[in-house]
Amino acid sequence: MSAIKPKHQRLVLLVIALIALIGAGLLAAWALRNQASYFYVPSEIVAHPPEADRAVRLGGMVQAGSIKTDPDGVTIHFMVGDGKANVPVVYAGIVPSLFVEGSGVVAEGRMGKDGTFVADNLLAKHDENYVPRELKDMSGAQAKAVVSETSQ
Amino acid sequence: MHIFANPKRFLSLATWLTPMCLVIGLVMAGGALAYGLLYAPADRLMGETVRILYIHVPAAWLGMGGWTTIAVASIVELVWRHPLATIAARAAAVPGAVFTAICLITGSIWGRPTWGTWWVWDGRLTSMLILLFLYFGYIALAGAVNREGASSRIPAIFGIVGAINIPIINRSVVWWNSLHQPPSITLGKSAIDPAFLWPLLIAAVGFSFIFGGVVLARMRMILADIQTEARLRRKALAA
Amino acid sequence: MREALDQWHFVAAAYAVGIIGTLGMVGWSWISMRRAEKRREKARRK
Repeated sequence: MSAIKPKHQRLVLLVIALIALIGAGLLAAWALRNQASYFYVPSEIVAHPPEADRAVRLGGMVQAGSIKTDPDGVTIHFMVGDGKANVPVVYAGIVPSLFVEGSGVVAEGRMGKDGTFVADNLLAKHDENYVPRELKDMSGAQAKAVVSETSQ
Repeated sequence: MHIFANPKRFLSLATWLTPMCLVIGLVMAGGALAYGLLYAPADRLMGETVRILYIHVPAAWLGMGGWTTIAVASIVELVWRHPLATIAARAAAVPGAVFTAICLITGSIWGRPTWGTWWVWDGRLTSMLILLFLYFGYIALAGAVNREGASSRIPAIFGIVGAINIPIINRSVVWWNSLHQPPSITLGKSAIDPAFLWPLLIAAVGFSFIFGGVVLARMRMILADIQTEARLRRKALAA
Repeated sequence: MREALDQWHFVAAAYAVGIIGTLGMVGWSWISMRRAEKRREKARRK
């Protein structure tokens, strides 16, 4: 008999179906590449400024030494950067407890006419590093180095 | 024929393997959680909420592991027609769904003090929620097949197609800007301090044993139901 | 203004969800397994 065993036939069919499925999935993920992003980074905002009054999210690092509180004690100004560009942000309200300089943030709001991002809401973004409190007196970079050394 | 040859061997193994897995898992996971709650250090930025990770991360891994089990068992079912594979796929659905739900709920509880929000529609959170709905769909489909006697290949195909979501969950934080942090533990390296990593890994192994024990218990349940039904049907025919 | 939440409330809530969920699943699966196996024995003996 020259016919392939039914078991092998089913296996081949399944492999073909799997390849088609993975291809479709990758294509969909690729198509969603821009739509599915939760926020824009500063260099994207600077390169293609969104039209004023369109609700967007801006995400990046709160630049060190950039947080300034207005005399009213509620309004804060800070710079959000991604290493390539910086965007000034103004926000009035309660900030999450993890909002600190040198840490990630996602600001929801809109671009003002003067190039300042006016945020209605702030979300603190945590990074992938987990460091015990005993190491907190070190700078972030030092602590990262310690973690990568001790966890090799 | 081999429906009765294989389950015998499986049952003699599962009889002692089920309680063993559950006991080992409960002891390990319980110990790791107690350590994580009482002795593990607080995180530099997150503070005490880092302790939620000892539940959230193993639950996330097992939520995805559950669907991977369904997909692999479904492939074995479709290609090799192994009856135990069908039962294994069905048995993995409930623990997978429970762990996915635990992952979503504990993640939400972690997100409120950490991010400042209970929920965001970013890539990781949305794809994980889709996984929970896929589990609901699979459980409903498998139940309908049981009741209506339709082909058991339909849930198997659904299980394989749904598996496309697993790599999407895994890669979502890399492909798309998301509020959720990128993976801390990748092959060969970790951005988690050892003080957090060890209890996390022990908790993950413990929860995996619990998962295995629950899958075995549910396989035994499904198998017993099938055998009861077959026995009653034969008796009804003989009478 | 900085948000000040008691982190331990969140930790306690998450542990409660995780532990109750896991133990509930284990207990339910174990009991329904024992019940199904008892039914099988009964069907065999009859």
